[in-house]
Amino acid sequence: MEGGSAMKNQTPDYIKPELMACCGAREIMDNNLVIVGTGFPAMAANIAKHSHAPGAMLMQESGVYDARPRRPALSVGDPCLNPGAAMIGGLIEIMGMFLQGGWINVGFLSGSQVDKFGNINTTAIGDYNSPKSRLPGSGGASPIGALAKKTIIVALHDTRRLTEKVDFITTPGYISGPGEREKWGLEPGSGPGVIITNKAVLRFDKETKEAYLASYHPGTTVEEVVALTPWKLKVAADVHETVPPTEEEIKAMRITDPFRMIKIYENRGYV
Amino acid sequence: MREPGRLCTDFTEFWRVFMSKVMPMKDAIKNNIKDGDFVYIGGYICRPPFSAVHEIIRQGIKDLTVTRSNAADDFDMLIGAGCVRRFVSTFLSLGLYGLGRCYRRSLEKGIPHKIEVEEYTNLSLPMMLLAGSMGMPFIPVKDMVGTDLLNVKSFMGDNKYKIIESPFDGRPTLLVPALNPDIGIIHVQQSDEEGNAQMWGIGGDCQYGANASKKVIVSCERIVSRDTIGMDPSRTIVPSFKVVAVVEEPFGSHPGYTPGFYDVDFAMGKFYQLASDTEDGFRDFLKEWVYDTADRADYIKHYIERFGYSQFKNLQADFSYSYPVSYEY
Repeated sequence: MEGGSAMKNQTPDYIKPELMACCGAREIMDNNLVIVGTGFPAMAANIAKHSHAPGAMLMQESGVYDARPRRPALSVGDPCLNPGAAMIGGLIEIMGMFLQGGWINVGFLSGSQVDKFGNINTTAIGDYNSPKSRLPGSGGASPIGALAKKTIIVALHDTRRLTEKVDFITTPGYISGPGEREKWGLEPGSGPGVIITNKAVLRFDKETKEAYLASYHPGTTVEEVVALTPWKLKVAADVHETVPPTEEEIKAMRITDPFRMIKIYENRGYV
Repeated sequence: MREPGRLCTDFTEFWRVFMSKVMPMKDAIKNNIKDGDFVYIGGYICRPPFSAVHEIIRQGIKDLTVTRSNAADDFDMLIGAGCVRRFVSTFLSLGLYGLGRCYRRSLEKGIPHKIEVEEYTNLSLPMMLLAGSMGMPFIPVKDMVGTDLLNVKSFMGDNKYKIIESPFDGRPTLLVPALNPDIGIIHVQQSDEEGNAQMWGIGGDCQYGANASKKVIVSCERIVSRDTIGMDPSRTIVPSFKVVAVVEEPFGSHPGYTPGFYDVDFAMGKFYQLASDTEDGFRDFLKEWVYDTADRADYIKHYIERFGYSQFKNLQADFSYSYPVSYEY
């Protein structure tokens, strides 16, 4: 199962999507309840589960709790999620009873457009009524963004995907700033925890709720990340290079994704 | 269930006792769906009632309002074929294969016409169906607040949602209306002839959508006896009294999957994406796979001729039976 000679190298062999998945894994604590999608989220959660957070429990919005897939799932409704799961219900069970019920610690989100307050647009680019590009819609992301205690956002780092203000708030981050979530009745302290891009890890300022640069990935620089960010990106005093995947994390990745299917993200620009 | 010798007192009773609900898909759709109906179509990649969707297109039914959480290629096809006027939606994509091509053409270019979309989420829409199934007029939900989903209203107008102060604690509370589709269509593993429908695996909003509907068409992989249903009654998600038609339709959810029967057909998913990339390609796809096939059996025959028996055989599921359960006392 584990990946051959590369593992014996001094420099761990990893690709950018794997580093990003590790960054996601590090946001998950032991015994967390995590709603995952496919690709990055599933990978990140599985790395956590096979390393520092063996008690983390994963579920998919379609109705599955603690699946034991024999291959990486290609969708949240994937057939491989069925055999071996601890529980299968439907949307009311996962999104209603568990998410709206207030049990979910971590949810993963991605989007075509993400702004500095961690709001996400998956509805339409341009004017809603005559869209330049019509996107899929809210799906499960919007309720996850509203109701998970912490969300992890995955995005491509360029001046088109990241934006000062999204065209349409499909999934709420900190909406228009401090106190907004609470004003709408969402749980105090909930909201986006981190934006993981192919260049950096951004976190959210406790006071302003604006995303700032926490760490930059190996191969890039603070200057490059700031230049690729369309708002005036603040930089943490302790900004540092993102820690590369550890040996334990790489081992976990090779167990959960032996065929390295996560490579498909390289074709989508995650390099 | 049946009571031999009992007198029929009215037509409904006559129908219930003497008329079988088992029929071909063609009749199930023709007898129960008309232009302008509000239709719930179940499935979540898992068990989409695809043969019913093809039959709706084949019969040229128009002006439908359609709904389900997480719509996929089946909804995309209905939209492209011009059957849909309104869509109570949360999401529509081709999954691995990206954005719904027909959905985009409809909303961006008005091809074949621009559908009206009322947007909710994968929490609020199932809750609206749940409310509908329980006869409640509306239901509170905790999501959608703070988003632009509250700033866009379509055919439901001001009745898309209401925000009230909770009568219990005064906090702002979002209410969304119950949905009661005219007809629900679901595909399940097995049903008896009366429509006691049994499902296992990923549920999506199937149970709530079907029970919210005024009547239900059950498409199933196999019809079993009432006694077989009774061996594991906890798996029944829709009771017979809601069901107006039972269609035995093996491979009825292809290219989606049915747990225990067959896998998702990723190759066909890609094939549909490539075809629907262009208007011409989509038109050819409909002709080949819908208009030029008479029914699902014909569709499967065409699939085997087109792609070979081994590709078809590869989709079929392995068997690994679950532990038998006992309900005895």
